[in-house]
Amino acid sequence: MRELRLSRVGKRASRAKPIENVLREGLRLERVPDPCIVVLFGATGDLAHRKVIPALYHLWRTNLLPHEFLLVAIGRRPYTDITFRAEIHKALEQFSRILPLDDDAWESFSQRIDYLRLDFDDAGGFETLSTYLDDYDAEHATRGNRLFYLATQPSQFAEIVGQLGRVGLDHERHDGGWRRIVIEKPFGHDLDSAKRLNREVGKVFRESQVYRIDHYLGKETVRNLLVFRFGNGIFEPLWNRRYVDHVQITVAESIGIENRGAFYEQTGASRDVLQNHLLQLVCLIAMEPPATFDANALRDEKVKVLRAISSDPLNPATDAVRGQYGPGWVAATKVPGFREEQEVDAESETETFVAARLTIDDWRWSGVPFYVRTGKRLPKRATEIAIHYREVPHRLFKDEGIEPDANLLAIRIQPDEGIMLRFGAKVPGLRLDVRSVTMDFTYGSAFNVDSPDAYETLILDALQGDASLFTRADEVEEAWGIVDPIINAWADASAPSFPNYDAGTWGPDAADELMVRDGRRWRRI
Amino acid sequence: MDVPFGFVPFVPMPSEPTLRWAARAHSIAEIESELSRIWAAQDLTVHIDGEISRHIAARTNVMNLIVVARRPELAERCAATVQALTGRHPSRTIVIQSADPDGPSWLDARIEAHCVMPRPDAPETCAETINVTCGGESGRHLAAIATPLIIHDLPVTVWWPGEPPLTSPAARELLAGADRFVVDGSTWSGDGLARLREMAMLQETSRLAVSDFALVRQSRWREAIASIFDDPEFLPYLRSLRRIAITYATHDETGAPGSTNLVKPIYHVGWLASRLGLHVVRPLSVAGAGRVGAAAARSTRGSGTKPTMGRGLVATLSDGRGEVAVVARPVMSAMPPGTTLRVELLAERRGSELRADVTAEAETVHVRVWQDGVEALDRHFRAPRRTDADLLTEAIETGRRDPVAVGALRSAAALIAPEGAAA
Repeated sequence: MRELRLSRVGKRASRAKPIENVLREGLRLERVPDPCIVVLFGATGDLAHRKVIPALYHLWRTNLLPHEFLLVAIGRRPYTDITFRAEIHKALEQFSRILPLDDDAWESFSQRIDYLRLDFDDAGGFETLSTYLDDYDAEHATRGNRLFYLATQPSQFAEIVGQLGRVGLDHERHDGGWRRIVIEKPFGHDLDSAKRLNREVGKVFRESQVYRIDHYLGKETVRNLLVFRFGNGIFEPLWNRRYVDHVQITVAESIGIENRGAFYEQTGASRDVLQNHLLQLVCLIAMEPPATFDANALRDEKVKVLRAISSDPLNPATDAVRGQYGPGWVAATKVPGFREEQEVDAESETETFVAARLTIDDWRWSGVPFYVRTGKRLPKRATEIAIHYREVPHRLFKDEGIEPDANLLAIRIQPDEGIMLRFGAKVPGLRLDVRSVTMDFTYGSAFNVDSPDAYETLILDALQGDASLFTRADEVEEAWGIVDPIINAWADASAPSFPNYDAGTWGPDAADELMVRDGRRWRRI
Repeated sequence: MDVPFGFVPFVPMPSEPTLRWAARAHSIAEIESELSRIWAAQDLTVHIDGEISRHIAARTNVMNLIVVARRPELAERCAATVQALTGRHPSRTIVIQSADPDGPSWLDARIEAHCVMPRPDAPETCAETINVTCGGESGRHLAAIATPLIIHDLPVTVWWPGEPPLTSPAARELLAGADRFVVDGSTWSGDGLARLREMAMLQETSRLAVSDFALVRQSRWREAIASIFDDPEFLPYLRSLRRIAITYATHDETGAPGSTNLVKPIYHVGWLASRLGLHVVRPLSVAGAGRVGAAAARSTRGSGTKPTMGRGLVATLSDGRGEVAVVARPVMSAMPPGTTLRVELLAERRGSELRADVTAEAETVHVRVWQDGVEALDRHFRAPRRTDADLLTEAIETGRRDPVAVGALRSAAALIAPEGAAA
């Protein structure tokens, strides 16, 4: 056995180092995206108009898309190329992050948008699509490279994937034509459906071809978490159970459900935010440093965190809280309760708020609770991670009747991205007064430059074949493994008396009690 | 420009830099005092509908930028470029120009604070510009003007448009306190190669990070050339390069060496040589003649015969396994002299040949590749030429020494035969 292992090691060591394109070093992109066609399913939908197509336009405008590029927009509505382009122009005027639009860039970009009407259950339509793409490849040197983007209702994912497989659009060509598929969240409705969808996708596409998008991971400040943690020497020694008392992560939204009543009724805060955004943030805070900065090394470490959470399952009765907003006032505006929103059942038991106490059963974090909360119609929009440090071990100033607050490191994801460190300082004067002060770093004052939208980052990554910021099948399933027991327990138990918090407040009292029981309280944001 | 002094009231527009403070000073001490007043002033607030709406949040915390502009028109152009920076606006820009060098010493400064609100919901940040004009001997002591004015602990970038006297004491003193040095080698007089060597020497003997617009400007070419070898089929040829040919524009119908700035064409070769680990076997010399230099240029001038276009320069590199021929060839063109028109690469590997041809236009770069005579790639990249503001942004965004730029400059300098040496 030992000989076998040694011979393997020897074989690996003698393997020639792969040739690298040394000319790439120092250039703006690690790779310029190959010529390609992006096939966008759900092109007439809200997500496509608000996010996906504006992101493609900005990539085009900043010369980050190849010259040989085509967007095939697929929908069921009866548009022509011209009428669809006009629709997109209107959408860009509303949703582009940089206005006014660049007329030249729009003109050339719009010429690269074709609209194709297609019903997803129409087998013949997919044959037509396949021929259409082949013809375009032949005429415009897009080299058989295709990115399929599913921006449709989740219930249509499996059907579209199946159709793509049936007409062979998943097959990567021997001469280098790649095929990738981007799938929007939510990926599954629970653990079983996620597994089922993974199986269906896996029948057609290899895992390396699948890019499950969670746009939170493309946000500049979320990506900066990795730089902050692993690019700075001074924080890592303090990033463990010895110094950290607990961690709080808040994803607060002041808006309601907008026009997504039907969707939200089926989803709720647990599926919409906890299962993906919040757990991803927990992973990035809690993960061990990956050996390398490649997709699999990064995702391996995140999966370890998720497994460490699920290895000590939380008790839904005591460690999780749900809430639903009633009418109230947000930002000086009277807003209706959830049950009064359009397309929402008047007796709805869907949660619009969730808070949970997670424990990570590993060497670094054992005994350090991670409190997470998210909700709609909270007083303000804010996403923050707060690392609360332990009190000093010896209270030197207790005789003076003063005790500085414990140190706090707060990472603001949005808005006003930045990092704040709180520490105690002596108030000037003859008395020994101590007050908490903050060192506050704001991105805007150091980098006076617009960040790309998360979708721009992620679409460019997908075009370049970099899956680091996308979630892997096992990651999705592990996350559902954490959330599923909570959702199931809530389904079995009777709901609390909803609504149980007023719009414009920080959630139900039970969320505060979750903290108070541990002798802590939510940070005031 | 006539501006009111002191606080300038206004309603800010997102992304639009707006003048918020202006003052005049006649000594370094007065400048320092005015700068303190800017940040101490209580009325630096915005009034919207009569209400105090927003305080200036902070000075940007990015860098000091010192611009040495010997002529007023250059100073104005540079100031306009700095204003047009889309990102990483320097926290403090000090534009130094000199006047009346033989008169008595004097100093006149205009201090301005410009503020920008990146988005309607973002805090406002401000940056300062100090335009200093020095008369007499004080204009020769640049470091004595700039050093007291820089913001502590922020990196210092010196941008020296035109022809920096790299070996002068004034330049040496100023650059001793700098982290980054920004120049544009493509604007230097003559072929620019002697100054390029001096700059490489400066790089080797100091910790300065050098950013040359001439090199930064070529990134679209480098992207396009690198993309050829992203293809796994072409990648193995990268280590078997046998010829690099650069065609550049000239307005001199003799194409004589010394008549056209060669910094950009030579950077192409320097970049490839440094990335591929090629060393110089024979430095640049006039094709079919002697060493590069004024002598070669003189040979075709004033002879009374109709000049013929020179064949350019040649050099030989080696990768240790074989030699790589280098050709830099002039072609009459309406493009600015020294502009690269074409980069051709030839690689041979195991009896197979790969030929690449890269050309650029205003908005695109065009790459064509033939493998054993058969066209294997024909691709356009959208890559417009960039403005000085784009180039300055990129130059100052690079935090430390960029190893690619260091290598390219070092290799480019190695290609140039030392003055007086035989080719």
